[in-house]
Amino acid sequence: MIINFKGANTYLGTGGKSLDINKRTLCFLHGSGQNHLSFIQQARFFAYKGYSVIVPDMPAHGFSDGNPCKSIKENAEWINDLLVKLNLKDVVVIGHSQGCLVALELNRILKNSLEALIFVAGSNEIPVNQFLLDLSKENPQKASQMMVTWGHGVDGDMSINKWPGHSHYGEGNNIMCMNKPTALMYDLHSCNDYSDGIDAAKNIKVPALAVLAKNDQMTPLKSGLKFVELIKNCEIHILNCGHFLPSERPIELNSIINSFLSKLK
Amino acid sequence: MSENYKFDTLSLHAGHIPDKETGSRAVPIYQTTSYVFNSTEEAASLYNMEVGGHLYTRISNPTVAALEQRLASLEGGASALACSSGMAAMHLVVSAICSSGDHIVASSKMYGANINLLQHTMPRFGVNTDFVNPNDPEAIKSAIKPNTKLVFGEVIGNPGLDIMDVPKIAKICNSKNVPLVLDATFNTPYLMQPFKHGANIIVHSLTKWLGGHGIAIGGAIVNGGNFDWGDKDKFPTISGPHFALGGISFWEEFGPSALIAKIRAEGMYNFGPSLSPTNAFHLMQGIETLPLRMKKHIENTHSILDFLVNHEMVEWVKHPDLETHPDHEVAKRILPKGSGSIVAFGIKGGREAGKAFIESVQLASHLANVGDAKTLLIHPGSTTHSHLSSEAMKEGGLTDDMIRLSVGLEDINDITKDFERGFKAVKKLNK
Ligand SMILES: Cc1ncc(COP(=O)(O)O)c(C=O)c1O
Repeated sequence: MIINFKGANTYLGTGGKSLDINKRTLCFLHGSGQNHLSFIQQARFFAYKGYSVIVPDMPAHGFSDGNPCKSIKENAEWINDLLVKLNLKDVVVIGHSQGCLVALELNRILKNSLEALIFVAGSNEIPVNQFLLDLSKENPQKASQMMVTWGHGVDGDMSINKWPGHSHYGEGNNIMCMNKPTALMYDLHSCNDYSDGIDAAKNIKVPALAVLAKNDQMTPLKSGLKFVELIKNCEIHILNCGHFLPSERPIELNSIINSFLSKLK
Repeated sequence: MSENYKFDTLSLHAGHIPDKETGSRAVPIYQTTSYVFNSTEEAASLYNMEVGGHLYTRISNPTVAALEQRLASLEGGASALACSSGMAAMHLVVSAICSSGDHIVASSKMYGANINLLQHTMPRFGVNTDFVNPNDPEAIKSAIKPNTKLVFGEVIGNPGLDIMDVPKIAKICNSKNVPLVLDATFNTPYLMQPFKHGANIIVHSLTKWLGGHGIAIGGAIVNGGNFDWGDKDKFPTISGPHFALGGISFWEEFGPSALIAKIRAEGMYNFGPSLSPTNAFHLMQGIETLPLRMKKHIENTHSILDFLVNHEMVEWVKHPDLETHPDHEVAKRILPKGSGSIVAFGIKGGREAGKAFIESVQLASHLANVGDAKTLLIHPGSTTHSHLSSEAMKEGGLTDDMIRLSVGLEDINDITKDFERGFKAVKKLNK
């Protein structure tokens, strides 16, 4: 659905069901240069399981207008204001990649009042190399293409997909191309500049789940494992795929999230 | 992680890796209509399009999906859908995008069934088409109306071999927010990948060069994922609420793959032109050698062109790689590896000469297909168009001396020897 938020048309994917604020809400936060479509196979799945689902397109991403946020903190404040506007109280946040950093900051703002945090292919830090930072400014389309090919595991190369007829690369590139051209650059800089992740991770007091990818070239497994060690009682799973875990291993991811959610109060 | 595999590698591998249980190196033929659900929940999630998977072979099948993913990969598209024939693919696209009251702009120089569908069948359902010269971008531009929902053409036209200036026409379509749909049967992704030139949707007859062996009919739609369907007034059944799945918006939920998602949920569900798993296997077997075959098709075509151009019995030869072809410059630009292996030529002596030639050759097969590994010939004047006068044929861009040749992979000397046999018969007739 499209809402007017902070003076801009803002799109929230709801998984094909209408938002019901009386239900537990799963709020999915997309990664750098992505949008709600990186959770195609999660949004409908959880909406049809009886949760309220929101998958916001961050400003200048997907179908949302507005100017891109310029730091992880700004992203987190934007999400916090959105949750307030929608009057959502019983919220589980699921971040992918950059969305994990935003989730960490959001949890600080909300002083551990979320119901749970789920980190997918995430870490407490996402340094970005200078080449990609520069390319995202000069040629965002090319930078997107490189991220899509680096980001996927072997299944990407060969278009191995349980979703009949779909190509990870073709779809991934076009999802990123839907964003405003400056979106990627600000996202990558936000990730690179973020340095509060260790404190934020140590500060987590809500139930936490991390699903990491064995062949992650964007947030390497090593970094993800260090990150989850900082979190008290974090449930950890490692899947054999690349960084684009939500589309590479949707069924496994959904099942892990589903059983984690069923254990929550 | 990317290896950035090249075209030849993807032709062999894309869409399939050996499964752990059997290790089967070849793509298994999943000859089944349906799939056991592990739970009611799983069944519901497939019906609701929550996650990918198979529920009934009319909608999708693992063997067919491997073919689809191979095609998506070779074309650089977001997704693909294979179906029972090239014509089924064409109809699925038109019926997914257009509703009664909508308008299409199409090339006037296309395969007969493509023309028939748009000229005679679709108007009965309220979808009308204006046909324009595919080589005239300005004419295409001015034919686009507010209710135009797609522009359609063949990259290499059948049988006239007109070449569409795809980048120019794509730019026009893009500026008018109308998708450019191309029949890329004659070029295949080996010779040209239309998405790289700005096209939005590709339809293929897999029956031809992609399958390449004249053994299975099949078609496919490849979705570039590069078209914005967001205008709810213009594309209400793709971006607005659709009757399927409780008012789903395919554009919002599936983005780049909206069109293919819609075709699966509507076209495959309700019309049902599915491809058999066995035919998908045969077609994929063909795609494995597509690069090798296309190279040889082009090599042989160029040799045959030399032979025909210099032959005393040949009145004229038409192929876009010849400088004399009106679209030669466009062909050089967008089809640098060659513009396919169909050649049209005229035999001195008119309709009777054409007939004599066809009836005398032995190696080349006289039949109504193209794109086989074997050399094929047809003489429209004495077969498909025999009921037409010379004048009527001319109006359709054909002449009564014209032979359509689909150059095969045989030893080139054997092909030319066979043709000499045909020419000898014509000489006898002309005496
Ligand atoms: C250019 C072109 N498109 C489409 C088709 C239809 O293909 P099929 O026979 O697979 O339906 C043909 C068949 O000759 C063709 O030549």
